[in-house]
Amino acid sequence: MIPTLTLARVVWLELLRRKDFYVLLCLLAALCAGLLSLDIFGLGGVVTFIKDLGLLAIWILVWILTLNLSVRQLPREESQGTIFPLLAKPISRLELIVGKWLGCWSATGFAAFCFYALLAGVAALQGGPFAPLVLAQAFLLHLTAIAILAALGILLSTRLNSDAAATLAYLASGACLLVIPQIPVAFETLVGPRRDLLLALYFATPHLELFDLRRRLVHDWGAMPIQPFLEILIYGALITIILLTLTWLAYRRKRFVRGDIL
Amino acid sequence: MSNAIEIDHLSVSFPSRSGPDVVALDDISFNVETGQVFGFLGPNGAGKTTALHILLGFLSASAGTARIFGCDVRASIARERIGFLPEHPDAYRFLTGRESLLIAGRLFRLSRSVLAERIEKVLALTGLPVDIARRPIATYSRGQRQRICLAQALINEPDLLILDEPTGGLDPLGRREVRVLIQNLKAAGKTVFFSSHELSEVELVCDHIALLARGRIVAQGAVHDLIPAGERLEQFFLRMVQS
Repeated sequence: MIPTLTLARVVWLELLRRKDFYVLLCLLAALCAGLLSLDIFGLGGVVTFIKDLGLLAIWILVWILTLNLSVRQLPREESQGTIFPLLAKPISRLELIVGKWLGCWSATGFAAFCFYALLAGVAALQGGPFAPLVLAQAFLLHLTAIAILAALGILLSTRLNSDAAATLAYLASGACLLVIPQIPVAFETLVGPRRDLLLALYFATPHLELFDLRRRLVHDWGAMPIQPFLEILIYGALITIILLTLTWLAYRRKRFVRGDIL
Repeated sequence: MSNAIEIDHLSVSFPSRSGPDVVALDDISFNVETGQVFGFLGPNGAGKTTALHILLGFLSASAGTARIFGCDVRASIARERIGFLPEHPDAYRFLTGRESLLIAGRLFRLSRSVLAERIEKVLALTGLPVDIARRPIATYSRGQRQRICLAQALINEPDLLILDEPTGGLDPLGRREVRVLIQNLKAAGKTVFFSSHELSEVELVCDHIALLARGRIVAQGAVHDLIPAGERLEQFFLRMVQS
């Protein structure tokens, strides 16, 4: 366990020493400040509008932060050659993968917490605070989505360089969020193998939209019932475990060729 | 005397897209006894790094076995008593030197109290000033990076130190310090296995060598037994490799 936590700590230090997190936090703060000063349609501060845009911004910023951080972990170790002294220590490749994932997940989870805290503060200042229970549920589900995204980023980076892995991770996760949920609409017009193929695709891909409680939070629809909430959490954990298992299978016998590295 | 390294009929080949498999190591066997300073020599492309990667468990052999202190190199426990310095050493540049040593030590499951003392010791051993160790590695010169990586390799007080071109990025003073360090490690009963192109360095510190050419061992043994009187290691190396 100590090596896994140590590797996770390295990812934390990377996030805190590099500027990505601070830049994104400043961006969100600037957006919130801009929204606070806007007088939309002469109605003064519209808190629902602020919440809606703020939460959308948080999802986008956390999406960027998670994928950028996760896709560079393994390729950077290989390109800098730090993978050799690392694997020469008594740690297994599984520990390496889990440590990297844990670091990416917890560090971007911490960043998401800061973003949510900032937005919650702004919403409270405007006289429309978030319902605490719904906010907690939304944050926990977002945290689960981050776990899936971090695992996806690390999986793709086992065989691709960080740029290619980032591009593919953005496309795949973007499709999971925006395109896959629309598939049931297309069912109505299709028949035969095309319908079956679409159905298989629908069930085989992770449903990231399940982790998005923004509307519930913005429109004060109340907390989710506990059972579906727990089922979504378990679904997220299962997807993460599947992605991490695939990562280990792809990485456990990977050969590091010096000529490729240098 | 027991063996620190045992390589037995080891062969490694890689699949090639354009023809038959490329044979990187062809049935090599040798032992390194504990307490020896063993030089692993060979021209570029001879298979030295492939052999080191097998020893460290980065690669799997096509045939044969490799053991470190009696443990199969594929088991992570085999690496508990090893320190490794790669040919082009680098460390996380966003960390300070001290932090990178702490991280390296924690990966060996060393406690923080042990590490506090160990870090001072390895900094002194590698000649890296304490104030520089507090700076981010991004600000280090190449030689300083080499030293911090060497310090990382020593953090667990390894019984076997594997060095791949250890003097590559160092100035003459740094080379001499590495040489002294190797001699001190030998005096402390540690085993040092290193590959190098610097034959003059090898001649000064090694008591045993193995010479690798085209994936095969062409000579191995004690330096004074192998090299005829009046011949330098460089002449011996060229004669063996060209033949």
